[in-house]
Amino acid sequence: MKQPFILLFFISFFVSATIYAQQKKDTVKTKESYGIRVGVDLSKPLISLLEPESKGLELVGDIRILRNYYAAVELGFEDKTSNEDYMNYTTKGSYIKMGVNYNAYKNWKGMTNELYMGVRYGFGLFNQTLNSYTPNVKGIYFIPDEAVPNTEFKDLSAHWAELVFGLKAETLKNLYLGFSFSFKTMISTKEPANFKNLYVPGFNRVYLNDTGFGINYTLSYLIPIIKREK
Amino acid sequence: MRKYVIVLFILCFTFVNCEKDDICIDTTTPKLIIVFYNDTIPGIKKTVTSLTVWADEKDTIYENNSLDSIAIPLDLTKNSTLYKLVSGTAIDTINFSYDRKDIFVSRSCGYKTIFENLKIESMTSNWIKNDTIKNTTIDNETAVHLTIFH
Repeated sequence: MKQPFILLFFISFFVSATIYAQQKKDTVKTKESYGIRVGVDLSKPLISLLEPESKGLELVGDIRILRNYYAAVELGFEDKTSNEDYMNYTTKGSYIKMGVNYNAYKNWKGMTNELYMGVRYGFGLFNQTLNSYTPNVKGIYFIPDEAVPNTEFKDLSAHWAELVFGLKAETLKNLYLGFSFSFKTMISTKEPANFKNLYVPGFNRVYLNDTGFGINYTLSYLIPIIKREK
Repeated sequence: MRKYVIVLFILCFTFVNCEKDDICIDTTTPKLIIVFYNDTIPGIKKTVTSLTVWADEKDTIYENNSLDSIAIPLDLTKNSTLYKLVSGTAIDTINFSYDRKDIFVSRSCGYKTIFENLKIESMTSNWIKNDTIKNTTIDNETAVHLTIFH
């Protein structure tokens, strides 16, 4: 009677050991795609539809360089007419932003969603055209005329830094929807004479303390190049 | 996840704080500042007891006021402004000429006009005895630009 029990004891030991080994193998098997992701900012065409005086396009791309790190780049151009209380001006130019995203989201097996923080260096080259202005006078004793100088300030530039917070979700296989906030601070600008860079392509509206912010909605596609084990 | 909610919450307030630069608080197009002095005792201000001031073909800015200094706007569509200064019943006409220059101030204020090379092209002397231009450039309202002796 004793012998079968001893046998069962040893068998159960082996079974548990094989189950344990199988579980271990499963985790090893998981592979993740590494590749180039290219996309477009959806907010810019949408804004163009709502405000016919602003046109723009932004292409976005990133490469997964380490498990949680992505090298990111954004390229874009803008042609925007801004209307202020006492003036109207047009900003036209292009920009590039380069930096790194760190994915802080712990994905489940096989998922590649992102909740990330990133930094960017931004550089823009642009022209400003002062379309019209009305000199600001307190009171109504003498009413000023509107001046239409159409002065174009060429070859202006700006350098800035950004802090980005965003998320990306894989909605279809290799197709990602993304959303991000960015906070910008100007490093240096080449300012026009007797005017100011109130709007900079890529930086958006320049606030009084040389800061700015941006919102992006992106649709991007991952071109998988290699599969690497987790 | 709670961490991110906190971060987003802080960011919301950053947006709110960004909207404060929309009000024009800087000084804009300055007025011409005139101070009245005593013609017989140098360096002593003298009040004009019944002063009426208007620009040619315009409404009065001051009417029967007792003042020792006035601030009057200049026409920024032309390079000259004709002013009538009345003390009691005596009328004097002063024709100011100047160059105009538009200076960028800020997003909310836009441009202001400053005046340079201020000159008195012509002046009648019914109650005004003499004048001295203290500043030929009018770019603020803190300095005196013209003194009138009577």
